[in-house]
Amino acid sequence: MGEKNPSIPVITVERFYLNHAEKLQLKLLAGGAGLSRRILEGSVNRPGLALAGFYKYFAFKRVQVIGGAEWEFLHSLDDHELTKRIEAMLKAKIPCLIFARNVNPPDSVLQICDKYQVPLFKTKIVTMKFINAATISLEMEFAPQVSEFGSMVDILGIGVLIRGESGIGKSESVLALLERGYSLVSDDVTRIRLLEGRELIGTSSETTRYHMEIRGLGIINVPAVFGVASVRPEKNVNLVVTLMDWGKMEQEVDRIGIEQQSYTILGIALPHVMIPVRPGRDIARLIQVAALDQKLKSLGHNAAREFNERLIERMRTRG
Amino acid sequence: MASPKKTSGPVIKELVVINRLGIHARPAALFVKVSSKFQSSITVEKDGEQINGKSIMGLMMLAAGLGARLTLIIDGPDAEAALRELEELFKNKFNED
Repeated sequence: MGEKNPSIPVITVERFYLNHAEKLQLKLLAGGAGLSRRILEGSVNRPGLALAGFYKYFAFKRVQVIGGAEWEFLHSLDDHELTKRIEAMLKAKIPCLIFARNVNPPDSVLQICDKYQVPLFKTKIVTMKFINAATISLEMEFAPQVSEFGSMVDILGIGVLIRGESGIGKSESVLALLERGYSLVSDDVTRIRLLEGRELIGTSSETTRYHMEIRGLGIINVPAVFGVASVRPEKNVNLVVTLMDWGKMEQEVDRIGIEQQSYTILGIALPHVMIPVRPGRDIARLIQVAALDQKLKSLGHNAAREFNERLIERMRTRG
Repeated sequence: MASPKKTSGPVIKELVVINRLGIHARPAALFVKVSSKFQSSITVEKDGEQINGKSIMGLMMLAAGLGARLTLIIDGPDAEAALRELEELFKNKFNED
Protein backbone atom coordinates (compact mmCIF):
# COMPACT_ATOMS: atom_id res chain seq x y z
CA MET A 1 0.00 0.00 0.00
CA GLY A 2 0.99 3.59 -0.43
CA GLU A 3 3.15 2.86 -3.42
CA LYS A 4 3.73 5.84 -5.65
CA ASN A 5 5.76 6.21 -8.78
CA PRO A 6 9.12 7.67 -7.98
CA SER A 7 9.92 10.86 -9.81
CA ILE A 8 12.76 10.51 -12.28
CA PRO A 9 15.07 13.33 -11.41
CA VAL A 10 16.32 15.63 -14.16
CA ILE A 11 20.01 16.12 -13.57
CA THR A 12 21.63 18.91 -15.51
CA VAL A 13 25.35 19.48 -15.61
CA GLU A 14 24.64 22.74 -13.79
CA ARG A 15 22.94 20.95 -10.91
CA PHE A 16 25.76 18.44 -10.68
CA TYR A 17 28.28 21.29 -10.76
CA LEU A 18 26.48 23.46 -8.19
CA ASN A 19 25.91 20.63 -5.73
CA HIS A 20 29.29 18.96 -5.97
CA ALA A 21 31.83 21.48 -7.26
CA GLU A 22 33.37 21.94 -3.85
CA LYS A 23 33.69 18.29 -2.91
CA LEU A 24 34.90 17.27 -6.37
CA GLN A 25 37.05 20.42 -6.72
CA LEU A 26 35.58 21.15 -10.11
CA LYS A 27 36.59 24.27 -12.00
CA LEU A 28 34.68 25.32 -15.09
CA LEU A 29 37.08 26.14 -17.92
CA ALA A 30 34.85 26.48 -20.98
CA GLY A 31 31.50 25.60 -22.49
CA GLY A 32 29.45 27.39 -19.81
CA ALA A 33 26.67 27.90 -22.33
CA GLY A 34 26.01 24.17 -22.19
CA LEU A 35 25.42 23.86 -18.45
CA SER A 36 21.78 23.07 -19.09
CA ARG A 37 22.78 19.78 -20.76
CA ARG A 38 21.32 16.75 -19.04
CA ILE A 39 23.30 13.90 -17.56
CA LEU A 40 21.23 10.93 -18.67
CA GLU A 41 23.09 8.24 -16.79
CA GLY A 42 24.29 8.60 -13.24
CA SER A 43 27.77 7.32 -13.83
CA VAL A 44 31.17 8.30 -15.17
CA ASN A 45 32.99 7.01 -18.23
CA ARG A 46 36.61 7.08 -19.28
CA PRO A 47 36.46 7.58 -23.03
CA GLY A 48 39.72 5.90 -23.97
CA LEU A 49 38.25 3.81 -26.77
CA ALA A 50 36.24 6.72 -28.13
CA LEU A 51 39.34 8.88 -28.29
CA ALA A 52 41.04 6.07 -30.19
CA GLY A 53 38.22 6.27 -32.72
CA PHE A 54 35.90 3.48 -31.59
CA TYR A 55 32.33 4.79 -31.43
CA LYS A 56 30.35 1.61 -32.00
CA TYR A 57 29.77 1.41 -28.29
CA PHE A 58 30.17 4.66 -26.42
CA ALA A 59 28.53 5.55 -23.11
CA PHE A 60 27.85 9.11 -24.26
CA LYS A 61 25.08 9.64 -21.66
CA ARG A 62 27.61 9.68 -18.85
CA VAL A 63 30.02 12.24 -17.51
CA GLN A 64 33.29 11.81 -19.43
CA VAL A 65 36.53 11.85 -17.49
CA ILE A 66 39.96 12.25 -19.03
CA GLY A 67 42.42 10.57 -16.68
CA GLY A 68 46.13 9.95 -16.88
CA ALA A 69 45.97 7.26 -19.55
CA GLU A 70 43.64 9.23 -21.83
CA TRP A 71 45.72 12.33 -21.40
CA GLU A 72 48.99 10.54 -22.20
CA PHE A 73 47.36 9.23 -25.35
CA LEU A 74 45.99 12.63 -26.43
CA HIS A 75 49.29 14.24 -25.58
CA SER A 76 51.08 11.90 -27.97
CA LEU A 77 49.03 13.29 -30.87
CA ASP A 78 49.73 16.55 -32.63
CA ASP A 79 47.53 19.51 -31.78
CA HIS A 80 45.34 19.21 -34.85
CA GLU A 81 44.68 15.50 -34.33
CA LEU A 82 44.03 16.00 -30.60
CA THR A 83 41.39 18.62 -31.32
CA LYS A 84 39.80 16.39 -33.95
CA ARG A 85 39.51 13.48 -31.50
CA ILE A 86 37.93 15.68 -28.85
CA GLU A 87 35.58 17.20 -31.40
CA ALA A 88 34.36 13.75 -32.45
CA MET A 89 33.48 13.06 -28.82
CA LEU A 90 31.70 16.39 -28.37
CA LYS A 91 29.59 15.62 -31.41
CA ALA A 92 28.43 12.45 -29.70
CA LYS A 93 26.34 14.62 -27.35
CA ILE A 94 28.16 13.98 -24.12
CA PRO A 95 26.92 15.98 -21.11
CA CYS A 96 30.32 17.32 -20.07
CA LEU A 97 34.03 16.66 -20.11
CA ILE A 98 36.30 16.62 -17.07
CA PHE A 99 40.09 16.62 -16.99
CA ALA A 100 41.38 14.97 -13.82
CA ARG A 101 44.71 15.16 -11.93
CA ASN A 102 45.02 18.89 -12.54
CA VAL A 103 45.76 18.60 -16.25
CA ASN A 104 45.35 21.84 -18.15
CA PRO A 105 43.78 21.09 -21.52
CA PRO A 106 45.23 23.09 -24.42
CA ASP A 107 43.44 26.24 -25.60
CA SER A 108 42.25 24.49 -28.72
CA VAL A 109 40.17 22.14 -26.51
CA LEU A 110 38.71 25.10 -24.59
CA GLN A 111 37.73 26.75 -27.85
CA ILE A 112 36.07 23.69 -29.28
CA CYS A 113 34.12 23.09 -26.05
CA ASP A 114 32.86 26.66 -26.26
CA LYS A 115 31.93 26.10 -29.90
CA TYR A 116 29.93 22.93 -29.18
CA GLN A 117 28.66 24.30 -25.89
CA VAL A 118 29.84 21.33 -23.85
CA PRO A 119 30.97 22.25 -20.33
CA LEU A 120 34.63 21.55 -19.73
CA PHE A 121 35.95 21.17 -16.20
CA LYS A 122 39.18 20.31 -14.53
CA THR A 123 39.80 18.88 -11.10
CA LYS A 124 42.88 18.59 -8.93
CA ILE A 125 41.89 15.16 -7.69
CA VAL A 126 43.67 12.11 -9.13
CA THR A 127 41.58 10.07 -11.52
CA MET A 128 40.66 7.02 -9.44
CA LYS A 129 39.72 9.06 -6.41
CA PHE A 130 37.78 11.46 -8.54
CA ILE A 131 35.86 8.66 -10.21
CA ASN A 132 34.91 7.16 -6.86
CA ALA A 133 33.78 10.48 -5.46
CA ALA A 134 31.92 11.48 -8.62
CA THR A 135 30.14 8.11 -8.74
CA ILE A 136 28.87 8.60 -5.20
CA SER A 137 27.79 12.16 -5.98
CA LEU A 138 25.95 11.06 -9.10
CA GLU A 139 24.33 8.17 -7.28
CA MET A 140 22.96 10.64 -4.73
CA GLU A 141 21.58 12.86 -7.47
CA PHE A 142 20.02 9.93 -9.29
CA ALA A 143 18.55 8.21 -6.23
CA PRO A 144 14.83 7.58 -6.81
CA GLN A 145 12.68 9.78 -4.65
CA VAL A 146 9.07 10.43 -3.72
CA SER A 147 7.19 12.94 -1.65
CA GLU A 148 5.09 11.48 1.14
CA PHE A 149 2.38 13.52 2.76
CA GLY A 150 3.41 13.42 6.35
CA SER A 151 5.71 14.96 8.90
CA MET A 152 8.89 13.35 10.04
CA VAL A 153 10.41 13.36 13.49
CA ASP A 154 13.53 11.73 14.92
CA ILE A 155 12.63 10.04 18.20
CA LEU A 156 15.79 8.82 19.93
CA GLY A 157 17.29 7.66 16.67
CA ILE A 158 14.10 6.21 15.24
CA GLY A 159 13.00 8.15 12.17
CA VAL A 160 9.21 8.28 12.30
CA LEU A 161 7.08 9.37 9.37
CA ILE A 162 3.72 10.59 10.69
CA ARG A 163 0.93 10.33 8.13
CA GLY A 164 -2.73 11.20 8.29
CA GLU A 165 -5.44 13.32 6.73
CA SER A 166 -4.99 17.05 7.07
CA GLY A 167 -6.55 18.38 10.23
CA ILE A 168 -6.18 15.13 12.11
CA GLY A 169 -3.50 16.56 14.34
CA LYS A 170 -0.16 15.72 12.76
CA SER A 171 1.40 19.10 13.40
CA GLU A 172 0.07 19.23 16.96
CA SER A 173 1.60 15.82 17.66
CA VAL A 174 4.88 16.95 16.14
CA LEU A 175 4.88 20.06 18.34
CA ALA A 176 4.33 17.94 21.43
CA LEU A 177 7.19 15.67 20.37
CA LEU A 178 9.49 18.66 19.84
CA GLU A 179 8.56 19.86 23.30
CA ARG A 180 9.74 16.55 24.67
CA GLY A 181 13.11 17.13 23.09
CA TYR A 182 12.87 15.15 19.85
CA SER A 183 13.81 16.72 16.56
CA LEU A 184 11.94 17.72 13.44
CA VAL A 185 13.04 16.47 10.04
CA SER A 186 10.15 17.74 7.96
CA ASP A 187 6.68 19.21 8.41
CA ASP A 188 3.72 18.10 6.32
CA VAL A 189 5.60 16.88 3.24
CA THR A 190 8.64 14.65 3.47
CA ARG A 191 11.01 14.00 0.57
CA ILE A 192 12.19 10.43 0.70
CA ARG A 193 15.01 9.04 -1.40
CA LEU A 194 16.24 5.52 -1.75
CA LEU A 195 19.96 5.14 -1.20
CA GLU A 196 21.77 2.16 -2.66
CA GLY A 197 18.47 0.42 -3.13
CA ARG A 198 18.02 -0.36 0.54
CA GLU A 199 17.97 2.71 2.76
CA LEU A 200 15.22 5.33 2.84
CA ILE A 201 16.33 8.83 3.75
CA GLY A 202 13.74 11.44 4.67
CA THR A 203 14.36 15.14 4.36
CA SER A 204 12.39 18.33 3.84
CA SER A 205 12.29 20.57 0.83
CA GLU A 206 14.89 23.28 1.19
CA THR A 207 12.36 26.10 1.11
CA THR A 208 10.30 24.86 4.05
CA ARG A 209 13.15 23.34 6.04
CA TYR A 210 13.01 23.95 9.81
CA HIS A 211 9.62 25.63 9.58
CA MET A 212 6.16 24.45 10.51
CA GLU A 213 2.72 25.71 9.71
CA ILE A 214 0.33 25.49 12.65
CA ARG A 215 -3.34 26.28 12.28
CA GLY A 216 -4.03 29.42 14.24
CA LEU A 217 -0.39 30.28 14.76
CA GLY A 218 0.87 30.56 11.22
CA ILE A 219 4.44 29.74 10.24
CA ILE A 220 6.89 29.18 13.06
CA ASN A 221 10.64 28.84 12.95
CA VAL A 222 11.34 25.63 14.84
CA PRO A 223 14.99 26.11 15.93
CA ALA A 224 14.18 29.68 16.99
CA VAL A 225 11.38 28.44 19.25
CA PHE A 226 12.74 25.09 20.42
CA GLY A 227 16.50 25.48 20.02
CA VAL A 228 18.96 24.12 17.49
CA ALA A 229 18.74 20.58 18.83
CA SER A 230 15.11 20.47 17.72
CA VAL A 231 15.89 20.07 14.03
CA ARG A 232 17.92 17.84 11.78
CA PRO A 233 18.30 18.03 8.01
CA GLU A 234 17.77 14.35 7.26
CA LYS A 235 17.22 10.99 8.88
CA ASN A 236 16.64 7.46 7.69
CA VAL A 237 13.02 6.39 7.99
CA ASN A 238 12.46 3.46 10.37
CA LEU A 239 8.75 3.59 11.18
CA VAL A 240 5.54 4.84 9.62
CA VAL A 241 2.72 5.94 11.90
CA THR A 242 -0.68 6.67 10.38
CA LEU A 243 -3.16 8.67 12.40
CA MET A 244 -6.76 7.75 11.60
CA ASP A 245 -10.12 9.07 12.58
CA TRP A 246 -11.49 6.78 15.29
CA GLY A 247 -14.90 6.64 13.61
CA LYS A 248 -13.57 6.10 10.10
CA MET A 249 -11.22 3.22 10.80
CA GLU A 250 -12.00 0.83 7.98
CA GLN A 251 -9.95 -2.02 9.18
CA GLU A 252 -9.84 -3.40 12.67
CA VAL A 253 -7.30 -1.71 14.90
CA ASP A 254 -4.50 -4.03 15.90
CA ARG A 255 -5.06 -4.69 19.56
CA ILE A 256 -2.19 -7.08 20.09
CA GLY A 257 0.73 -6.05 17.91
CA ILE A 258 2.07 -9.50 17.14
CA GLU A 259 1.65 -9.11 13.40
CA GLN A 260 3.91 -6.43 12.01
CA GLN A 261 2.01 -4.23 9.58
CA SER A 262 4.01 -2.61 6.81
CA TYR A 263 3.93 0.42 4.55
CA THR A 264 5.90 0.40 1.34
CA ILE A 265 7.90 3.36 0.10
CA LEU A 266 10.03 3.05 -3.05
CA GLY A 267 9.79 -0.73 -2.80
CA ILE A 268 11.01 -0.88 0.80
CA ALA A 269 8.54 -2.21 3.37
CA LEU A 270 8.65 -0.22 6.60
CA PRO A 271 7.03 -1.16 9.92
CA HIS A 272 3.65 0.53 10.10
CA VAL A 273 1.48 1.42 13.08
CA MET A 274 -2.05 2.76 12.77
CA ILE A 275 -3.27 4.91 15.63
CA PRO A 276 -6.95 5.81 15.96
CA VAL A 277 -7.34 9.43 16.96
CA ARG A 278 -10.05 10.86 19.12
CA PRO A 279 -10.25 13.81 21.47
CA GLY A 280 -8.45 13.23 24.71
CA ARG A 281 -5.91 10.75 23.39
CA ASP A 282 -2.37 11.96 23.80
CA ILE A 283 -1.23 11.14 20.28
CA ALA A 284 2.30 12.41 20.77
CA ARG A 285 2.79 10.02 23.67
CA LEU A 286 1.40 7.14 21.60
CA ILE A 287 3.79 7.95 18.75
CA GLN A 288 6.67 8.17 21.20
CA VAL A 289 5.86 4.76 22.65
CA ALA A 290 5.39 3.28 19.15
CA ALA A 291 8.88 4.51 18.27
CA LEU A 292 10.39 3.07 21.45
CA ASP A 293 8.60 -0.24 20.89
CA GLN A 294 9.99 -0.24 17.35
CA LYS A 295 13.45 0.27 18.77
CA LEU A 296 12.87 -2.72 21.01
CA LYS A 297 11.73 -4.78 18.02
CA SER A 298 14.80 -3.76 16.05
CA LEU A 299 16.85 -5.11 18.94
CA GLY A 300 15.03 -8.42 18.54
CA HIS A 301 12.33 -8.11 21.20
CA ASN A 302 8.69 -8.37 20.16
CA ALA A 303 6.93 -7.66 23.44
CA ALA A 304 3.54 -8.85 22.20
CA ARG A 305 4.88 -12.12 20.81
CA GLU A 306 6.98 -12.85 23.89
CA PHE A 307 4.04 -12.09 26.15
CA ASN A 308 1.80 -14.41 24.18
CA GLU A 309 4.34 -17.22 24.13
CA ARG A 310 4.64 -17.00 27.90
CA LEU A 311 0.86 -17.02 28.24
CA ILE A 312 0.45 -20.09 26.03
CA GLU A 313 3.23 -21.89 27.89
CA ARG A 314 1.59 -21.08 31.21
CA MET A 315 -1.81 -22.36 30.07
CA ARG A 316 -0.21 -25.54 28.74
CA THR A 317 1.68 -26.41 31.89
CA ARG A 318 -1.26 -25.68 34.14
CA GLY A 319 -3.36 -28.05 32.04
CA MET B 1 -35.17 3.64 19.30
CA ALA B 2 -37.52 0.81 20.20
CA SER B 3 -36.52 -0.45 23.59
CA PRO B 4 -35.54 -4.12 23.35
CA LYS B 5 -37.15 -6.53 25.69
CA LYS B 6 -35.18 -6.69 28.88
CA THR B 7 -34.84 -10.16 30.30
CA SER B 8 -35.09 -10.37 34.01
CA GLY B 9 -31.58 -10.60 35.48
CA PRO B 10 -28.33 -11.53 33.76
CA VAL B 11 -27.84 -14.42 31.33
CA ILE B 12 -25.37 -16.91 32.77
CA LYS B 13 -23.69 -19.72 30.88
CA GLU B 14 -20.66 -21.92 31.39
CA LEU B 15 -18.47 -22.46 28.32
CA VAL B 16 -15.48 -24.76 27.84
CA VAL B 17 -12.36 -23.73 25.97
CA ILE B 18 -11.78 -26.30 23.23
CA ASN B 19 -9.11 -24.73 21.08
CA ARG B 20 -5.69 -26.24 21.58
CA LEU B 21 -3.76 -23.12 22.62
CA GLY B 22 -6.43 -21.73 24.89
CA ILE B 23 -7.39 -18.08 25.13
CA HIS B 24 -4.11 -16.44 24.17
CA ALA B 25 -3.70 -13.03 22.56
CA ARG B 26 -5.49 -13.67 19.28
CA PRO B 27 -8.61 -15.36 20.71
CA ALA B 28 -8.73 -12.72 23.45
CA ALA B 29 -8.70 -9.96 20.85
CA LEU B 30 -11.41 -11.77 18.89
CA PHE B 31 -13.54 -12.18 22.01
CA VAL B 32 -13.25 -8.49 22.82
CA LYS B 33 -13.97 -7.50 19.24
CA VAL B 34 -17.30 -9.34 19.52
CA SER B 35 -18.15 -8.43 23.12
CA SER B 36 -17.47 -4.73 22.49
CA LYS B 37 -20.25 -4.63 19.90
CA PHE B 38 -22.83 -5.18 22.63
CA GLN B 39 -24.31 -2.78 25.08
CA SER B 40 -24.66 -5.38 27.80
CA SER B 41 -22.06 -5.71 30.49
CA ILE B 42 -20.10 -8.92 30.00
CA THR B 43 -18.27 -10.51 32.88
CA VAL B 44 -16.11 -13.61 32.56
CA GLU B 45 -15.41 -15.76 35.59
CA LYS B 46 -12.83 -18.48 36.06
CA ASP B 47 -12.07 -20.20 39.36
CA GLY B 48 -13.84 -17.44 41.27
CA GLU B 49 -11.96 -14.65 39.52
CA GLN B 50 -14.07 -12.17 37.57
CA ILE B 51 -12.91 -9.90 34.79
CA ASN B 52 -14.51 -7.49 32.33
CA GLY B 53 -15.21 -9.36 29.08
CA LYS B 54 -14.39 -6.26 27.07
CA SER B 55 -10.77 -6.17 28.26
CA ILE B 56 -8.08 -8.05 26.37
CA MET B 57 -5.63 -7.91 29.25
CA GLY B 58 -8.32 -9.16 31.61
CA LEU B 59 -9.09 -12.17 29.46
CA MET B 60 -5.45 -13.08 29.07
CA MET B 61 -4.98 -12.76 32.82
CA LEU B 62 -7.41 -15.65 33.28
CA ALA B 63 -4.94 -17.89 31.42
CA ALA B 64 -7.80 -20.07 30.22
CA GLY B 65 -6.12 -23.04 28.59
CA LEU B 66 -7.59 -26.03 26.76
CA GLY B 67 -10.42 -27.49 28.86
CA ALA B 68 -10.82 -24.46 31.12
CA ARG B 69 -14.36 -23.66 32.18
CA LEU B 70 -15.43 -20.05 31.92
CA THR B 71 -18.69 -18.61 33.18
CA LEU B 72 -20.13 -15.78 31.13
CA ILE B 73 -22.37 -13.38 33.00
CA ILE B 74 -24.08 -11.06 30.57
CA ASP B 75 -26.42 -8.36 31.71
CA GLY B 76 -28.25 -5.93 29.48
CA PRO B 77 -30.76 -5.48 26.70
CA ASP B 78 -28.81 -7.48 24.10
CA ALA B 79 -27.54 -10.18 26.46
CA GLU B 80 -29.07 -13.09 24.53
CA ALA B 81 -27.53 -12.02 21.23
CA ALA B 82 -24.16 -11.45 22.88
CA LEU B 83 -24.20 -14.91 24.40
CA ARG B 84 -25.12 -16.46 21.04
CA GLU B 85 -22.21 -14.84 19.25
CA LEU B 86 -19.68 -15.51 22.00
CA GLU B 87 -20.79 -19.12 22.29
CA GLU B 88 -20.29 -19.43 18.55
CA LEU B 89 -16.67 -18.25 18.97
CA PHE B 90 -15.97 -20.95 21.55
CA LYS B 91 -17.59 -23.61 19.33
CA ASN B 92 -15.56 -22.51 16.32
CA LYS B 93 -12.37 -22.74 18.42
CA PHE B 94 -11.84 -19.00 17.75
CA ASN B 95 -11.15 -19.94 14.12
CA GLU B 96 -8.03 -21.78 15.19
CA ASP B 97 -6.72 -25.39 15.14
